[in-house]
Amino acid sequence: MTEQTAHPSPAASGSATNGAIVLDQVGKTYGSGEGAVEAIRSISLTFAQGQSVAIVGPSGCGKSTLMRMIAGLDDLTAGSIRIGDRQVTGPVRDIGVVFQRDLLLDWRSVLDNVLLPAEIRGMDMAAASKRAMALLEELDVAGFAKHYPWQLSGGMRQRVAIARALLPSPHLMFLDEPFSALDAMTRDQMNVLLQQIQAAEHVTTLLITHSILEAVFVADRVLVMSGRPGAILDDITVDFPRPRKLELRETPAFTAIVGRIREQFVKTGDLVG
Amino acid sequence: MKAGSIPASQSATGRAAPGLAARARRHFAVLFPPLLSAVIGLGLWEGVVRWLEMPSFVLPPPSSVVFVMIEYWGYLVSQLAWTVMAAAVGVLIGISLGIIAGAGIAMSGIIDRMLTPWLVIIHAIPKVVVAPLFLIWFGFGVQSEIFFVVTFTFFPVVVATITGLKSADPEVLLLVRSMGADRGQVLRKILFPSAMPTILSGVKLSVSLAPVGAVIGEFVASNQGLGHLLIRAVGDMDTALAFAAVTLFSIFGVLLWRAAEFVEGKLLPWHPSQRGDLASNRK
Ligand SMILES: Nc1ncnc2c1ncn2[C@@H]1O[C@H](COP(=O)(O)OP(=O)(O)OP(=O)(O)O)[C@@H](O)[C@H]1O
Ligand SMILES: [Mg+2]
Repeated sequence: MTEQTAHPSPAASGSATNGAIVLDQVGKTYGSGEGAVEAIRSISLTFAQGQSVAIVGPSGCGKSTLMRMIAGLDDLTAGSIRIGDRQVTGPVRDIGVVFQRDLLLDWRSVLDNVLLPAEIRGMDMAAASKRAMALLEELDVAGFAKHYPWQLSGGMRQRVAIARALLPSPHLMFLDEPFSALDAMTRDQMNVLLQQIQAAEHVTTLLITHSILEAVFVADRVLVMSGRPGAILDDITVDFPRPRKLELRETPAFTAIVGRIREQFVKTGDLVG
Repeated sequence: MKAGSIPASQSATGRAAPGLAARARRHFAVLFPPLLSAVIGLGLWEGVVRWLEMPSFVLPPPSSVVFVMIEYWGYLVSQLAWTVMAAAVGVLIGISLGIIAGAGIAMSGIIDRMLTPWLVIIHAIPKVVVAPLFLIWFGFGVQSEIFFVVTFTFFPVVVATITGLKSADPEVLLLVRSMGADRGQVLRKILFPSAMPTILSGVKLSVSLAPVGAVIGEFVASNQGLGHLLIRAVGDMDTALAFAAVTLFSIFGVLLWRAAEFVEGKLLPWHPSQRGDLASNRK
């Protein structure tokens, strides 16, 4: 039951995952023979530590697949991935993951949901509880710590999911379309909140989204992926100062970047949902 | 669920405001129809039996069933207690074995392939038919009876446990894997809690089957319990006593079911079937 026995891979057993993420000609094909689906073709990339990267691309282009592979949750069929000086061969412990569905456990209170990673890793529970409450405070749901997930709204639930991902203070946070199920106003709030918390926690962030606005607003760098098989079409640096306010989205500089990304999809005939 | 609960609770408070009389009237409206129906049914039964002058050993009137029940109360209760004891011991063993076997089958492909064919075959055997064999194998006495209850109550729990453990959300499993959970942690923190509602529905079914199993066991292999009492009463043509035993048995069955639902509600306060007004209104 010690942490090391579960997934005896170099990346998994490391306590901290400092350093850049390096993808070297990464490819992924699901199945084989007739029914094989090539999801991703030869992607090479480097994410600097502390960077906030967003990935946009048409549905089914392999964004989730790419994220799962970097997190060590899915095997590669070509190339390799390194985080710092460690090869990724199994689940990487130092990542907090947030999915489109919040995946809160119905039978646990909000606080106990946030504490789940602490229980699994055998962390000091008193310290973990303190940190959980601080995170819930930061995410503005501390008043609901004793409530159950079904008593919360969709936006609140997703904030709890983010708190859970951040509890062990990971160096990396991966978010796969975390706000897709939320209404436009809540989503705007969450965007502001996300870049606040990202700055506060100094966490390298990988955000997958269908919203170009969201990508440009939250990230330092936006990667544009092509339709299947997924490859990188464009790699755009976004260097608006932080903290960013929603008004930023009305500025010409912002609109120009959004326009540039949209053009990529028009060119290739892919529409972003 | 939510939409249904709001008008329901509003109307409840809205109507309670005028006074207690309204509430009493509503209780009465709920209780009156079944009570009336019971009185009419029992009255007809009593009337027909008397009018046709039926011999009591063919069909006793309800009044004599009640008299017998009062007269033999102590004896009936002691026999019921015996049956309940045997059923309880048997069902506890059956549930435990069921959960262990179900967990093994759900978690391990090898155990699945080795155990499942046996279970399918044994389950297909009509247990009531082979009940007399238990007499040969385990002898006359409570052990046969308990074993019979075990075979009755084991299968619903196995099936429910397997279904429950296999129905956990795959994305949740991916999530806890990303947190570095080992197999034991996945089982304890995710699989079992999310399987609980399904396992408990199997347990409920088993609990309701247990007294039936015990009584059948007593038919063949016991000189105690309601089942034995029933056999003897019928042998003596004391049909009123048999009816009294059956009545007591039915009342016990209803109470048992209620108790199981109560325990379920205590164990699963978070489950959609247990929360919200709509669910409680339906009961
Ligand atoms: N487990 C799997 N088995 C087989 N094929 C898969 C599997 N998972 C994904 N695929 C295929 O790989 C491709 C990429 O899937 P992926 O989920 O990564 O896309 P995505 O970019 O995240 O799409 P979306 O934006 O709709 O979430 C899809 O065409 C899909 O059919
Ligand atoms: Mg996806």
